[in-house]
Amino acid sequence: MEKVNFRTRVLTRHLQDSRRLAIAGDISCSPCLSYTPPEASEQPFSFDVTSMRKLMDGHNLEDRDWLFNLMIQSNLFNPKLRGGKVFVVPDYNQSMEQQREMTMKRIQYLLDHGVFQGWLTGKGFEDEMRKLALLEVIEIFDHSLAIKIGVHFFLWGGAVQFFGTKRHHDKWLNATENYMVKGCFAMTELGHGSNVRGIETITTYDSRSREFVINTPCESAQKYWIGGAANHATHTVVFSQLNIDGKNEGVHAFITQIRDAEGNISPNIRISDCGHKIGLNGVDNGRIWFDNVRIPRENLLNSVADVSPDGNYLSAIKDPDQRFGAFMAPLTSGRVTIAASAVYSAKISLAIAIRYSLTRRAFSITPNSAEVLLLDYPSHQRRLLPLLAKTYAMSFAANHLKLLYVKRTPQLIKTLHVVSSAFKAILTWHNMRTLQECREACGGQGLKTENRIGQLKGEFDVQSTFEGDNNVLMQQVSKALLAEYVAAKRKNKPFKELGLEHMNKSCPTIPLELTVSTLRSSQFQNDIFCLRERDLLNRFAAEVSKYQAQGESKESAFVASYQLAEDLGRAFSDRAILQTFLEAENNATDAPLKNALGLLRSMYVLVTLDEDAAFLRYGYLTTENAATVRKEVAKLCSEMRPHALALVSSFGIPDAFLSPIAFDWVAANSWSTNQN
Amino acid sequence: MEAKSSVRIITLNRPKQLNALSAAMVSRLLDIFLACEEESAVKLIILKGKGRAFCAGADVAEIVREINQGNWKSGANFSREELTMNYVMATYSKPQVSILNGIVMGGGAGASIHGRFRIATENTLFAMPETALGLFPDVGASYFLSRLPGFFGEYVGLTGTRLDGAEMLACGLATHFVLSERLPLLEEALVKANSGDPAVISSFISDFTQIPNLKKGSAYHRLGTINKCFSRTIEEIIAALEWEAADKKDNWITSTILSLKKASPTSLKISLRSIREGRLQGIGKCLVREFRMLSHAMSGDICKDFVEGCRAILLDKDRNPKWEPSKLESIGDEMVDRYFWKMDVDDDWEDLKLPVRSNLPAYAIAKL
Repeated sequence: MEKVNFRTRVLTRHLQDSRRLAIAGDISCSPCLSYTPPEASEQPFSFDVTSMRKLMDGHNLEDRDWLFNLMIQSNLFNPKLRGGKVFVVPDYNQSMEQQREMTMKRIQYLLDHGVFQGWLTGKGFEDEMRKLALLEVIEIFDHSLAIKIGVHFFLWGGAVQFFGTKRHHDKWLNATENYMVKGCFAMTELGHGSNVRGIETITTYDSRSREFVINTPCESAQKYWIGGAANHATHTVVFSQLNIDGKNEGVHAFITQIRDAEGNISPNIRISDCGHKIGLNGVDNGRIWFDNVRIPRENLLNSVADVSPDGNYLSAIKDPDQRFGAFMAPLTSGRVTIAASAVYSAKISLAIAIRYSLTRRAFSITPNSAEVLLLDYPSHQRRLLPLLAKTYAMSFAANHLKLLYVKRTPQLIKTLHVVSSAFKAILTWHNMRTLQECREACGGQGLKTENRIGQLKGEFDVQSTFEGDNNVLMQQVSKALLAEYVAAKRKNKPFKELGLEHMNKSCPTIPLELTVSTLRSSQFQNDIFCLRERDLLNRFAAEVSKYQAQGESKESAFVASYQLAEDLGRAFSDRAILQTFLEAENNATDAPLKNALGLLRSMYVLVTLDEDAAFLRYGYLTTENAATVRKEVAKLCSEMRPHALALVSSFGIPDAFLSPIAFDWVAANSWSTNQN
Repeated sequence: MEAKSSVRIITLNRPKQLNALSAAMVSRLLDIFLACEEESAVKLIILKGKGRAFCAGADVAEIVREINQGNWKSGANFSREELTMNYVMATYSKPQVSILNGIVMGGGAGASIHGRFRIATENTLFAMPETALGLFPDVGASYFLSRLPGFFGEYVGLTGTRLDGAEMLACGLATHFVLSERLPLLEEALVKANSGDPAVISSFISDFTQIPNLKKGSAYHRLGTINKCFSRTIEEIIAALEWEAADKKDNWITSTILSLKKASPTSLKISLRSIREGRLQGIGKCLVREFRMLSHAMSGDICKDFVEGCRAILLDKDRNPKWEPSKLESIGDEMVDRYFWKMDVDDDWEDLKLPVRSNLPAYAIAKL
């Protein structure tokens, strides 16, 4: 009966309303829902968001804000007024060609305002950190813009810097920083991507003319996905097999001009477009063929190996494997910046989805009462808040990785390679998952391009593929861990790299019955992550040696043990991320800040325990304990709920870089707004 | 104040002082605004000035007199009320039409720019001259200056340059341009319109507007140069301008450099920081921050340039202020930072507490 009455009242109101509207004839004067900004309805922040932002962004906050301002203040960045606020976001409705031209114009604007000053000619720690910070800010505006700039400075510029020697530096670095030349990076081919050593482009040396001759011998050797090649780049670094007197010396890098300053394609070069993509249409990816292209001998980037004028091959590193390793080492910069930018993309989507969930209501719990805020539903909290905690954890991980990269020493190259591979894969996967969840959490509004999240899915999908396929990278992590394990066991020496030092201690024990206070202690959290890593490494080593004992080669034993390799890669990454979190927590002194971080850390660990089947599969958690963990996750959700707004405000992303649904979405969609 | 139909017409009436805002005027204005918001019969507020000024700012001479008598708190409390009034105007639920037929400076800008409609005329003369007085653009200027095209706001706020009506319209400080001879008719039309709908009001005003021509030497034509030079730190701004000047002889650049060099170095630094922070903040936060800065400037706990600037420009009129520190280089980040901290001179000195505003229109919410 209650239900019938309720329904009658609803219908009555509905009918009366429509009659009143018909008489008044003025829809805009009777808003049915009013928007209240979350800042007005939520509790005051329990911690200082500025200090939290400082902790998260980590460095160069003033430079970041300067660049945000530079973009907000220019019409090139497509400012759009919606609901009384200005938003800057690229117009993805433009054609691919228009988007590419806009990207180039924006680069010119940033160049004119000194954004790139010192990106290649600066040498110190400060310059490096500033460069990374500014690239992150650019990426918050548009991934295409960041990638186009990244290819020019980090790949082309980085190759000249690291593979080249003084003659290359003098000739190219300054010219690159000022965009006198536009560079690209021709490594990937149609037939070979992650397996760089298999590329088929071939270069020979002509000692009479003292020139190298580059060739694309077959269709699968065409260079593919080369960012910048389709429209703008004037020069490229070509990766190619080097053949001297019939002997293959392995992959080497050469500088080749592909266009003149007017944009005409150079002789003996053929270029074609990769066409429209699911994202990054502001980047002109192209394909390149080389038909006996002749370049001077000096264009070999010769930091690792050289060819003398009369055609003798010279290298300080005799072992071709090591030579290749030394060659590839500088390319970690790409993985570092990708990992960091993935976190910022997750931050954008969470800030939008959580702000929306603090203003959008759906369904009343009791008849005629106010409808409930989305984020007041425990199920909605469970969807978004664990991802928020993980994003915090990965933000600290990205900061750690950046410092590891900038302060790298020859001794740390291996660690850098392993950590950057692991973090790049885990952080970019996390971003894609977060984007999808946030998209769904915004309902229909998430589908609108102007609300950014849906578009970001297309823009960032590529991150799990370029600079090393995520799955391949994770296998490399397990492989490196195994090598470390084998070396330590064989020499009977303690572990002292890759954060494996915990393996030297006795195996941690997990209490049979987990209490709430144990679950939230950092000791337990660290223990259970270490336990999983240690046990999986032991199991992995045992399985690989079992296959080898059956006569399999090391490589095929490895391929066959892929399931454990996958679990181990995750175990390593989660443990390494937790350690960066604990480090960041230790650096915070302010009590309210520490409390918030403690909550986030517990959420990060417990939701990992809840989601990763490995903990049950290998018995690190009993089924009873797994149930306790799950309950605690729900409790943590409700504890994080009051801090949700403060936590996304701490991301420090200016309003203009979020989207209309993050603010007054009623006004942004009102009739009068749409007419203007 | 006059009441005509649903319109309230408020006239600032202190023409001898160019309608400079006294404490009594600010508190009366605040009362009127709050009362009119309650009264459902009122739909529109028109604010104008008597004589050749709209409003030349706050009565700074009065404030400095108090400070010199050791009573900076009374000056700061005046600002507290003024900034509260700015906040109420910025978040007002009914349209405010300000008729800027004459001088609009400092506090006068605060009393008009936050409102919905700002009508400039051929007599309008706008400036934010605070840096020359050893102060910084307050009254919510860090909000509205930072939202001007490119880095025009930095230029206006740091140099204290004067803008005419055409320039105000071009950069967005004014929403309409109407010749002064048509103002009485416009007023009459608005009274007759009897509407509180911004779209209706806007269309009524549009019947009287015309598009003025920017004068040939207008700074707005130099937006390219301004964007290039004014996006950096003060030191870099001056260096960039000097670099531009070295290239070619240019009166505009020379006078821009000159006004920066005449201004208080401390003022330049804190003004720039304030505008930069304002760009990413809502109006409420901007005002709270500006109030902290004002408290420091008036108490003189970090630097005494404000008193010195007022002495040189307003009291002794020797036009030769002795800034201390006198050079940009001697002002470290740490000193600038302190302007943005809560006052620690006095435990009971409170931050600006803004009134809670409810039922805001979208236009006002967007400013928060």
